[in-house]
Amino acid sequence: MTVLDSGTTADRGTTAARETAAATAEAAAIDSRDPLVRLGHLLDEGSIRRISPEDRSGVLAVTGRVDGVPVVAFCSDARIQGGAMGAEGCEHIVHAYDVAVRERVPVIGVWHCGGARLAEGVESLHAVGRVFAAMTKASGVVPQISVVVGPAAGGAAYGPALTDIVILADSGRIFVTGPDVVRSVTGEQIDMAALGGPEPHSKRSGVVHVVTKDEPEALLRARQLAGLLGHQGRMREVDEVDFSDVLPDNPRRAYDVHPLVKGLLDEPGVELQPKWAPNIVTTLGRLGGRTVGVIANNPMRLGGCLDSASAEKASRFVRMCDAFGVPLIVLVDVPGYLPGVGQEHDGVVRRGAKLLHAFAEASVPRVTLITRKAYGGAYIAMNSRSLGATRVFAWPTMEVAVMGAVAAVRIIKRREIAAVPEEERAALEARLAEEHEKAAGGLQRAIDLGVVDEVIEPAKTRGAIARVLAQATPARGAHGNIPL
Amino acid sequence: MAEVHAEMVANVWKIVVSEGDVVDEGDTLVILESMKMEIPVLSEDPGTVTKIQVKEGDVVQEGDLIAVVE
Repeated sequence: MTVLDSGTTADRGTTAARETAAATAEAAAIDSRDPLVRLGHLLDEGSIRRISPEDRSGVLAVTGRVDGVPVVAFCSDARIQGGAMGAEGCEHIVHAYDVAVRERVPVIGVWHCGGARLAEGVESLHAVGRVFAAMTKASGVVPQISVVVGPAAGGAAYGPALTDIVILADSGRIFVTGPDVVRSVTGEQIDMAALGGPEPHSKRSGVVHVVTKDEPEALLRARQLAGLLGHQGRMREVDEVDFSDVLPDNPRRAYDVHPLVKGLLDEPGVELQPKWAPNIVTTLGRLGGRTVGVIANNPMRLGGCLDSASAEKASRFVRMCDAFGVPLIVLVDVPGYLPGVGQEHDGVVRRGAKLLHAFAEASVPRVTLITRKAYGGAYIAMNSRSLGATRVFAWPTMEVAVMGAVAAVRIIKRREIAAVPEEERAALEARLAEEHEKAAGGLQRAIDLGVVDEVIEPAKTRGAIARVLAQATPARGAHGNIPL
Repeated sequence: MAEVHAEMVANVWKIVVSEGDVVDEGDTLVILESMKMEIPVLSEDPGTVTKIQVKEGDVVQEGDLIAVVE
């Protein structure tokens, strides 16, 4: 949002003032806040058909296409009362949802809205509530994408929040109560950007899935995501990529999982919530031309541990993909759940349970690849056989166990270890760990039990995964996508 | 100024940078050891390391200050 500082403008002198005046005149000719202009950037040229009349409602609803894929879209009219939502504008949004659900096409909402219209009082609140109800009814039925390009405050914050994916342009601000109210109630001094701009929402709150440098890029991302969800394509033959160099030689060493995710996909996909709970990566992209969702532990962050935030992030992604029939690829390298008082009190039990529920509930085809470690409860949570994985692959480097072998024997064999002199303990631990690994963990045991189906070479990974997904019976979960 | 805190209980395994070093976003400052894993602590912002609060062998608790980048 641009706020003109008149003091600064005056200081710049007459030339600058003339330039400003010229720019203003140009801006008046093509007002970038005109919803028809905004939707024109979002949708294919010449594809727009109005489904709401030209009026003072503050909302424009249309049908159109994104790379040929039919969609429904609506946009706040920020020129009228700052885009505030009244009864009439909300009626247009509800109507747009009716059309989208009837036609089974994605809905894209472009938001620049200060909230409910104050002058309409409770009538506008009732209308905003009806929008929420329409969004919830459509949840899991048609993909819903929100692009926030200006303020989305109060009721307008919860509109995007109810949808599947929220994109925030640099100019976007999302909050329930603005800085003035915060200041008057709690005394906290904060500006709009620090309260609800890209920084807090990308790193701290998890409200936003994609942050972009400007409005055009935000609209471009919306197009890309609408294409991925609205036109999923059919799997064709894939080329192989050799992933032999992805893992470091030392099994304790951290590495970034992004190159593996990128290499698995035909072209870079769209990573959702990249900076929030970065210890798990959730990316939508295509494999063999077909849309897939990739979930991967990232050992570079928190050792790749699952924690309450990452479990919640992954759960919502799993449920979104399941609702729209997008097959899942789960890349596992996880040392466990993150230990700590903070985690326990943060509800890692409750929030971690969401991931178990999401995978166990999912009907969509879902392939697991264990690349390195799969320990303890986190092994189960990462789409294990027990939760119903379609197929479980492992690289030869895989190790699955309740915990690391040395840590395990320190508990199981603690008396035996304590009985020997201190200087001999390390050697004994190592020997016991080796025996334990043979008996309890290790690849062969996992295969014998049927919790791993097949060991594949890193250089044959794409083909193996693509074949399973191509042969699996397509399915989608019959549920909504509650914003977990 | 950005304070970098420990996100988990861990041993300090290796100090990678020194006070006064210029770092970029995503550079490794310190490597912790926990959960049988080496866990790099990354700088969230570009800047200069003005303080390293830990030394190798220390045990850090969740939330402890590790370094300051300005």
